[in-house]
Amino acid sequence: MKNLLKAQDLKAYYRLVGGTEIRAVDGVTLQLRPHEVLGIAGESGCGKSTLAAVMSLTHNPPLRVMDGLIMANGSNLLSLPPEQVRRKIKGTYISVVPQGAMNALNPTQRVRNFAIDMLQEHHPEMKKSEATDLAQSRLTDLSLPVRVLDSYPHELSGGMKQRAIIVLSTLLDPKVLIADEPTSALDVSSQRSVIRLLLTLLGEGIITSIAFITHELPLLRQVADRIAIMYAGKLVEVGTMEEIIFDPRHPYTKALMGSMLVPEKHVREQRIEAIPGVPPDLKNPPDGCRFHPRCPRRQEICSREEPLAKTVGDRTTWCWLMQ
Amino acid sequence: MGEVLILVLRSRRFMIGAVLFLTVLAFGVIGPRIVHRDPFQMVGGLFDSPSEKAMLGTDNLGRDVFTQLMYGTGTSLLIGFVAGVVATCIGVTVGAVAGFKGGFVDELLMGITNILITIPSIVVLILLSIAIRSRSAMVMGVIIGITSWPWTARAVRAQTSSLKTREHVDLARISGYTAVELIIKEILPYMFSYIFMAFILQFSGGITNEATLSMLGLGPFQTVSLGVMLHWALLWEAVRTGAWWAFLPPVVFLTITSFSLMLINAGLDEVFNPRLRKS
Amino acid sequence: MTMLKSKFARYVLQKFGWYLVAFFIAVSLNFFLPRLIPGNPVRVLVSQLATGGVQSDALARIYDNYMREFGLDQPTHIQFFRYFRNLFRGDLGTSFMLYPGKVSDLIREALPWTVALQIPTILIGWLLGNILGAACAYKGGKFDAVAFTLALAVSNIPYYCLAIILLYGLAVHNPIFPVGGGYSFGNFPELSLSFFLDALHHYTLPFLSMIVVALGGQAIGMREMALYELTTDYVHYSKALGLSDKKVIRYVFRNAMLPQITGLAISFGTMMGGALVTESVFSYPGIGSLLFTAIRQADYPLIQGCTLIITVAVLLANFLVDIAYGYIDPRIRAAQLGER
Repeated sequence: MKNLLKAQDLKAYYRLVGGTEIRAVDGVTLQLRPHEVLGIAGESGCGKSTLAAVMSLTHNPPLRVMDGLIMANGSNLLSLPPEQVRRKIKGTYISVVPQGAMNALNPTQRVRNFAIDMLQEHHPEMKKSEATDLAQSRLTDLSLPVRVLDSYPHELSGGMKQRAIIVLSTLLDPKVLIADEPTSALDVSSQRSVIRLLLTLLGEGIITSIAFITHELPLLRQVADRIAIMYAGKLVEVGTMEEIIFDPRHPYTKALMGSMLVPEKHVREQRIEAIPGVPPDLKNPPDGCRFHPRCPRRQEICSREEPLAKTVGDRTTWCWLMQ
Repeated sequence: MGEVLILVLRSRRFMIGAVLFLTVLAFGVIGPRIVHRDPFQMVGGLFDSPSEKAMLGTDNLGRDVFTQLMYGTGTSLLIGFVAGVVATCIGVTVGAVAGFKGGFVDELLMGITNILITIPSIVVLILLSIAIRSRSAMVMGVIIGITSWPWTARAVRAQTSSLKTREHVDLARISGYTAVELIIKEILPYMFSYIFMAFILQFSGGITNEATLSMLGLGPFQTVSLGVMLHWALLWEAVRTGAWWAFLPPVVFLTITSFSLMLINAGLDEVFNPRLRKS
Repeated sequence: MTMLKSKFARYVLQKFGWYLVAFFIAVSLNFFLPRLIPGNPVRVLVSQLATGGVQSDALARIYDNYMREFGLDQPTHIQFFRYFRNLFRGDLGTSFMLYPGKVSDLIREALPWTVALQIPTILIGWLLGNILGAACAYKGGKFDAVAFTLALAVSNIPYYCLAIILLYGLAVHNPIFPVGGGYSFGNFPELSLSFFLDALHHYTLPFLSMIVVALGGQAIGMREMALYELTTDYVHYSKALGLSDKKVIRYVFRNAMLPQITGLAISFGTMMGGALVTESVFSYPGIGSLLFTAIRQADYPLIQGCTLIITVAVLLANFLVDIAYGYIDPRIRAAQLGER
């Protein structure tokens, strides 16, 4: 099946004052397929948000792409002129639901005016009234109150604000929606309505696929078709939701599942109490497998050589145990 | 701490400012101790131009401008310093209490602060100055200080109310510290750099305010300051008669002093608010 | 819509209340502080007049007049009440130095000059400063380095220092502009082109000396705000949806501009001191020069009149700016009325 978006051997580093580099994404290859929700999970600081920023082409200095491609429709988006990316890709092919979305809307502008600005940017011929109509009917279709358009951001509740942002982000029917921790600041019931909205957009065919970045695995269990687990700037395991949640192979994935409270009995039994040690310093990551200093099942080779990818069916694992 | 010091010393703005300021300071504070001259002694006639006898000429009463400049700089710095200390002490106290206590105390103190900010301080300064007959340099410093603290109070309050929710403050509270102990031991040390920068601003503002008041004729009695020199120069039409030596030196010194303090502040700001540090 | 209007009305009323309190405190200071002067100022004045050779029956009349005017024979609270009553009648008392000239008349003559000098200076300085600061934040690089350092430098020169330098450089040393006053000697204020041009000629230096400093200060504030706004979430989000730089920058400047309106209010208060001295440097016939003379002559009623009019002007300006701000920025109203 053709991919909607593919990161290939992607390396993205933060370049700090004095020349230090933080290797937040260090050689990641990942596909987003049509009609799926791809979950990207990992502890904070594992590089998942950096990956999201690069995949949505919103990275800014000091974050730089050092190597690799972002492929869509047969072309590398990273090599396109920025103006073309802005006009042809952002908001129309790839769109985002940002992290910390509480402040993502201009505080002194009514939601309506932002919708108009956004629509007219991509369709200069569109009249204001047409843009308003479009936004209104979209809200109605999604059974959201139309009054949102007349509000200033501070007049909306957190959950409503987040849903408004999702609607704005998908006004132009983008193929790909990259959602970075879209529910992290919300209470449980708002979380649920945000998830429901995302799934509706997917079901109605307004968007084709979602990359859903989060550190909350239980959430992915509800929404994701496939899950990618990141650790210290690299992928450790990618597979279907069932494979990752119920049958993790990589020791790190297992450890993650262990720290997560899952009601199913057989999962709970595998529980590893806690992962000893701390994630490595990405300024100076360990040689070999990056997880080896904390890995309960490390072998001699793990500290020397990077594990190769091992693919079985839908699942790919980067671990010497699998070889 | 050592790392911060190195960053401070590496800031070009800070270093230029510090060198300029120390020069002015040495001139105004150490200078008079070395030369021991009476700034009020007449050494020539009305507005004598610079000569070997008087390096910067004489003023309206035939007094040596260079000596006056030296003593005047000292007085202006003293007034600015006293004003800075007084304003910072009051401002930090009010701000820390308001921010820490919150609730009614906060609203009351900030209400007063905001009202005092809206009343132009120059007006209060003028009224206080005419009410107090014997204005020594010290008294002037105090007067300026007690009219300019609200800005510091406002800033310190904002910092305090964000600091007081930090974990270490909670830990100290659980271990039985009193409110005063908490403020002094657990809150103020964390905004030392901030308070110091506020002090520098108040110091600089104090010097400018002294000059403003003195030029209006409300300067310190029986002493000379940069503002007092300008007052005489204006009153005796030094500018219009072209006696540049009578007004240019205090103008230059006032400008250098406030410019150097601003540079010091900008340098510190670069270090303590890394957002502005160039990558 | 009516909801919105009543909210706004509540906001205006609340602000008005605060300013009323500030006004009351300022007027009280204006009343009480000069009364701390040791001795009886009227007796001091009269003894000064006596050495000037004024007839003794005339002196007695003057003495009685002032005692009555200030109510110095009455208890303090009566004096205070009387002070307020006179104030609302527009009676600011009688000047010492120009006896029996009324303080209110002197102020009425001087006020238009000060207003004509200050309002344009502050407004134009504010506007140009904001444009410069925004340009610094947006362009960055060399332009920012040079313009920002320059702005830092000029904004830290006390107003009157620049005034003195300009006066010496452009009026005395190179006599391009007049050495002072509001108009040429022998000319009279009237509605004619020649008077207007003459007044403009006198206006240039005081205007320049103040606007440069004001502009620098505003530019620094605006640059800070705009730099901050450029890093906010809404900027990233708008860019992620493909909005053009032009549109994003419009958001940024609008939002950075709003807090600068508070800066405008502050300028009215903080510029005052420097502006008063600038006027007296140029002998500009405004409140500053009047105050300068009043202080030299120990003319307490006139000093009080000047400080009062300055306070009222600053409070009024602040109030108007606050209202404008609340009207423009929906967040302020919401925050100040304590709703989330």
